[in-house]
Amino acid sequence: MLALASIGGVLLLLTLWKGWLELLVWAIATGGAAYTATLFVDYHGADGAAPLVAAALLLTGELAAWSLDARWRVGAEAAVLRRRALALGALVVAGLAASAMVVALSGVDAGGGLLLTTLGAASAVCAVGISVVLLARGR
Amino acid sequence: MTRFTSPRVAGYAWLAAVGLVAGLASARVELIALAAPFALAALAGAVLLRNPRVEAQLSLDRDRALEDEEVQATVTLTAAEGSEWVELFLPLPEQLKAVAPNPRAVELPAGEPRKLELPLRCERWGAFALGPLYLRGRDALGFHSWEGQAGQPQPLRVYPSVETLHALLPPLETQVFVGNQVSRTRGDGIEFADVRQWAPGDRIKRVNWRASARRGELWVNEQHPERNTDVVLFLDTFAEVRTGVRGTHDLAVRAATSLAHRYLERKDRVGLVSFGGHLSWLLPHSGTVQLYKIVDSLLQTDVVLTFAARGVDILPPRTLPPKALVLALTPLLDRRSAKALLDLRARGYDLVVIEVSPVEFVTPADDTLSQLAYRVWRLSREALRVRYEQAGVPVVEWREGLPLNVPLEEVTAFRRSARPARA
Repeated sequence: MLALASIGGVLLLLTLWKGWLELLVWAIATGGAAYTATLFVDYHGADGAAPLVAAALLLTGELAAWSLDARWRVGAEAAVLRRRALALGALVVAGLAASAMVVALSGVDAGGGLLLTTLGAASAVCAVGISVVLLARGR
Repeated sequence: MTRFTSPRVAGYAWLAAVGLVAGLASARVELIALAAPFALAALAGAVLLRNPRVEAQLSLDRDRALEDEEVQATVTLTAAEGSEWVELFLPLPEQLKAVAPNPRAVELPAGEPRKLELPLRCERWGAFALGPLYLRGRDALGFHSWEGQAGQPQPLRVYPSVETLHALLPPLETQVFVGNQVSRTRGDGIEFADVRQWAPGDRIKRVNWRASARRGELWVNEQHPERNTDVVLFLDTFAEVRTGVRGTHDLAVRAATSLAHRYLERKDRVGLVSFGGHLSWLLPHSGTVQLYKIVDSLLQTDVVLTFAARGVDILPPRTLPPKALVLALTPLLDRRSAKALLDLRARGYDLVVIEVSPVEFVTPADDTLSQLAYRVWRLSREALRVRYEQAGVPVVEWREGLPLNVPLEEVTAFRRSARPARA
């Protein structure tokens, strides 16, 4: 776990040092993997800290991207910086809320059954599909 | 505008997908909770995708300026469909420096034009075309950016600052037109020259009555007439030595501008010959228009490498009028210009060589071979100077930081003791 977290940290440092934005996702993924590994080692049911970890990972990624943008010496107006900070804050807070909602809803007994399982699987397939579309657009 | 998407949008989508699938597979809600913010970020990336239409206009408060002056560039930005903010960058030549941040990022709401001032300091002379602007629009989170160019190039001419010259070099011979230079010849003028015996045709008012009374016959005064002079500025553009923006060509252009300004102020006729890779010339004329022509021509001169052997024969005859004073501004680096100048001297032109010293711009390495090469180079320059002096041509050295008056005074001192031999 510590090794994974260290690798994540090194990847993040490498991203910031070399300016390789493509590496940022791997740094976040490694950080997330380190957290996941702790979950499987110390299993105590649903971890309430997961939303905070998720929001922290997203914040790390966004701040790293911002710092890479700031490498170009662009004299930004205070309003521009404020707007980006507000947008970033809103994104992280919304992410935290969504993540917390997921954890909270996991505690609700919805009865289970084939319908909900199918719905869950369909949601996952949709999410993967959206990811593929975004990947294609990004290229 | 060309759109670019940050690789982290796709990366977040990929993370979200992996987290969701891993969460479903392992039945761990924490993994889905981990994936949720990234899924939201990827969704935000998709929502923020748009196609902004940003237009920009660039204008300058004037198209001519002097060195060390400031020129105000104004950028007007409009966006029919805006991005959250726009980064704009005006590429500048190294002779111009932006006083305000460049590049800079500004807010640009849709439908609200913005006017931005960008003061530019003109640090060195030159003829430039500013623009087009480089624009980059971004969404609020920097997920997407749109890049493009806008604005028409704006011409800007920065003239070299003129040095104050207290005295100018008088040519050995003047021309036939009226001017401010006292001629060595005798005729109608103000400056007293001599007395001589009266001759038929002499006017009564020219009789020197004191001399006539003393000698018992009529004697008349003679004067030096005021005539104009023709000055040809001969700019050697075969080679230069440069360190950054400073160099011998830069100094030569400054000197030529100062000399042209001062001679034209004195109502002389001034011409220009740019002798090097690109040959150009201006026939001698007087007046303010000629000054602008000369300075505009000087702004466009540049040192161009050429292996062509050129002589003064290729210049039109009227470029170098007889009795003209030829002021050569040369770094004494190229043998072709030296040959051409010695050829001019052999043709009887009143030639003065102002050596724009390249020595300050050359720093030899510490090793013995470099030091030896440097000493040989200095000696060869000295030998060339001696060749000029043997031909009766004054050669004076002008270094950066030294007033131009100093070499001109040196020439005057040289001429007191040495006079070019008549061909």
